[in-house]
Amino acid sequence: MPEIKASSVEPGKKAKISNTGILFIVLVVLFALFSYVGRPFFFSTLNLVPMLNNLSFIGIIAAVLTMVMVSGDIDFSIGGNIGLTACLVALLLSKGLPGWLVVIIALCGGAIMGAFNGFLATVIGVNSIIATIGTMFIWRGIGYTLSNGESMLAMNPVIDYIGRGFLFKVIPFPIVIFIVVFVITYVIMNLSKWGRRIYAIGTNPMASYLSGINVKKVKFVGFLLCGITASLGGLILTSLSAVGMPQHGQGLELVIISGIVLGGTALGGGKGQILGTLAGILILSVLYNFLTIMNVYYFYIQIVQGSVLVLVVATYEIRQSRALKRV
Amino acid sequence: MTDNNGIVLKMENITKIFPGVIALEDVSIELYKGEVLGILGENGAGKSTLIKILAGNYIKDSGSIYVDGQKFEIKSPSEAMASGIRVIYQELNTLNNLSVAENIFIGEQLVKGPFKIVDWKAMTKKAGEILGSLNVALDPNSVIGDLSISEKQIVEIAKAISKDAKILVMDEPTAALSEEETQSLFKIIATLKSRGVSIIYISHRLKEIFQITDRVVVLRDGKKVESIKTKDTNANELVTLMVGRDIKEMYPKREVPIGNTVMEVKNLTADGFKDISFKLKKGEILGIFGLLGSGRTSLVKALFGANKVKSGEILINGKKVDIKSPKMARDEKIGLVPLDRKVEGLALHLGVKENITLANIEDLGKGFLIKKQLENKKAQMWIEEMGIKTPTMDQEVNSLSGGNQQKVVLAKWLESGSKIIILNEPTRGIDVGAKIEIYKLMQNLCEKGSAVIMISSELPEILSIADRILVMSKGKMTAEYSRKEASEENLLQSACI
Repeated sequence: MPEIKASSVEPGKKAKISNTGILFIVLVVLFALFSYVGRPFFFSTLNLVPMLNNLSFIGIIAAVLTMVMVSGDIDFSIGGNIGLTACLVALLLSKGLPGWLVVIIALCGGAIMGAFNGFLATVIGVNSIIATIGTMFIWRGIGYTLSNGESMLAMNPVIDYIGRGFLFKVIPFPIVIFIVVFVITYVIMNLSKWGRRIYAIGTNPMASYLSGINVKKVKFVGFLLCGITASLGGLILTSLSAVGMPQHGQGLELVIISGIVLGGTALGGGKGQILGTLAGILILSVLYNFLTIMNVYYFYIQIVQGSVLVLVVATYEIRQSRALKRV
Repeated sequence: MTDNNGIVLKMENITKIFPGVIALEDVSIELYKGEVLGILGENGAGKSTLIKILAGNYIKDSGSIYVDGQKFEIKSPSEAMASGIRVIYQELNTLNNLSVAENIFIGEQLVKGPFKIVDWKAMTKKAGEILGSLNVALDPNSVIGDLSISEKQIVEIAKAISKDAKILVMDEPTAALSEEETQSLFKIIATLKSRGVSIIYISHRLKEIFQITDRVVVLRDGKKVESIKTKDTNANELVTLMVGRDIKEMYPKREVPIGNTVMEVKNLTADGFKDISFKLKKGEILGIFGLLGSGRTSLVKALFGANKVKSGEILINGKKVDIKSPKMARDEKIGLVPLDRKVEGLALHLGVKENITLANIEDLGKGFLIKKQLENKKAQMWIEEMGIKTPTMDQEVNSLSGGNQQKVVLAKWLESGSKIIILNEPTRGIDVGAKIEIYKLMQNLCEKGSAVIMISSELPEILSIADRILVMSKGKMTAEYSRKEASEENLLQSACI
């Protein structure tokens, strides 16, 4: 009975490998199905390029937030960060600052926001759910203050390029950013010493601390990077829309976290893969895009998106408890 | 006790298997009305597994349980309680912010009137009556948090009998008690017995077994080896039954030449202990003995940088060090095998490999990245060196047996190059075979020039393995004994000062 032996040797391992695998299979099937049903528009550059552009700023934030979530924390303030960054960018441009300087200031602003979250969560020790829900309101409130609640035009050659430029005249620049961020986060999480520390902390912060890992430092850096990436996302969104307004990114935190959780990251930390997150947000985007171009009523789209999330996470739980029973 | 009093509880052919370990194999016990049954066995012999099955915390894999002759499937703690089985664990489950009376009636407060308002008066009165029936003077209104461990225990007993417990299980009830408190507990046990309550008494203190029990069941390696009337046996026979082998074989002790002082602690004070001084020498195993709450765990945490030191100093190889975090302790080549390996020692859902390298991630490659081959080589080496039994190095450490998990924790510190290894109850909850391996590994370390501090509350272990024993009580160091001077009596005595 070789099969029984295999499963008894590696309980849980089998389920872990195939969760991400299954997601990619689902993605390919959905994509093929949508291309057929939604032909000819769905599978065309006219549809796919805007979809990928929109995906890019969600995706980079999701990738970095995955690191934060694997280490056992969460950041709800990303949407507020986007709104604040968008207003800041538009405001600075309106004052006549050069585009490259605005980009640097925006990213520094993101770093400050991330560092503040990290400070609250690690130095002070506020639960990161509470801390970042608080800062979410603060960031957005500052955005409203900066912009007086109005949308401002944000046009500048450098800013325009970030969201609407093309590398080598063919590859949309947001997609370049998207790929670069995913490769970097993949290398960090899967191949680096630092990534190992993140997984160790998420699995057992106490044992990690007692093994000489600087838990607070690793967590702090996670928040810092998440802040920077969210403001980069804010830059892309501002560029794509050519407008900076405080409502930018509203509700996006839940979409991004849904994608991450869909990709198999556990809320408690310790579990999650960058590739899983990639699959998770791709599935959500493809689904949303398809339903939209099929003229499905927006109300129904929300129901579908929510159902998919609940269904997939329920499946994880069932698979998990089955894997446990085998022990 | 005689058969005509009837059997209250019968556990028949109970088997429980955990991954990698058969915790209980075909164990049968009977308990008579009004009897005190001692269950004796080394750590890992299966005592607590048996109790947890009885209490509904674990579900047996096979076998049957009869209460009052009725077959009974215990599937949850509440079902066990409903049938009159009560367990008083070593770690007490009292709610520290509530009063004695509230604790006694927790979950079943007395109520009055149509709106079921809590009847405080009646509860206080009834609690006073129950405590009185145990001949203890304890104010039902006092807050649990202010009580001593033995008083909390009495509250737990009162809680159990308030709900008509027929069978009371006590798991190492005297572990944290002084001699005097132990004697008053025994009086309570005698009172309960005269009322027809049957008691299962778990301990590895032989003296108590002879004083309080009517009959003894000895477990070893998950099997029942003997059931005997207490008056028909003696201490030597019980030890032989428990250990199942020669005591020398159980506690292999090699003489290692003792070298220079590697660590010196001078007047160290922190939360939980005061004014502790000692020296640790190369090649030595220094035992620290103390009861629960004696400050031994606080002490090792302070040595390891996980507890803030208030005053005093630590010298390593003659050089004063200021250890403020576990990271700094690790850099000083100190390793800690903690009390609770699952909470403090291991990342349970990572693999054996990742856990072995956990304290030394920095050395897994030159730059930013982990060199996989290097890590595999290191892991492989320690798995072989320590004899860690695992199907692969990627196996989740969670599914390993306790002994193998403990070896992984030890390997983690050796991999990080530790020269001073502190072990807090290193053989807690692991089977006899693995224990012997851990002892041997500790001595290997000493032979290779490390020094070991071992905290243990297991008397035979610390008496046989340690070269020197410090005793702590209530946060202070009360005695130091060489291996020759130390005995069960003087250790316990110094621990209860």
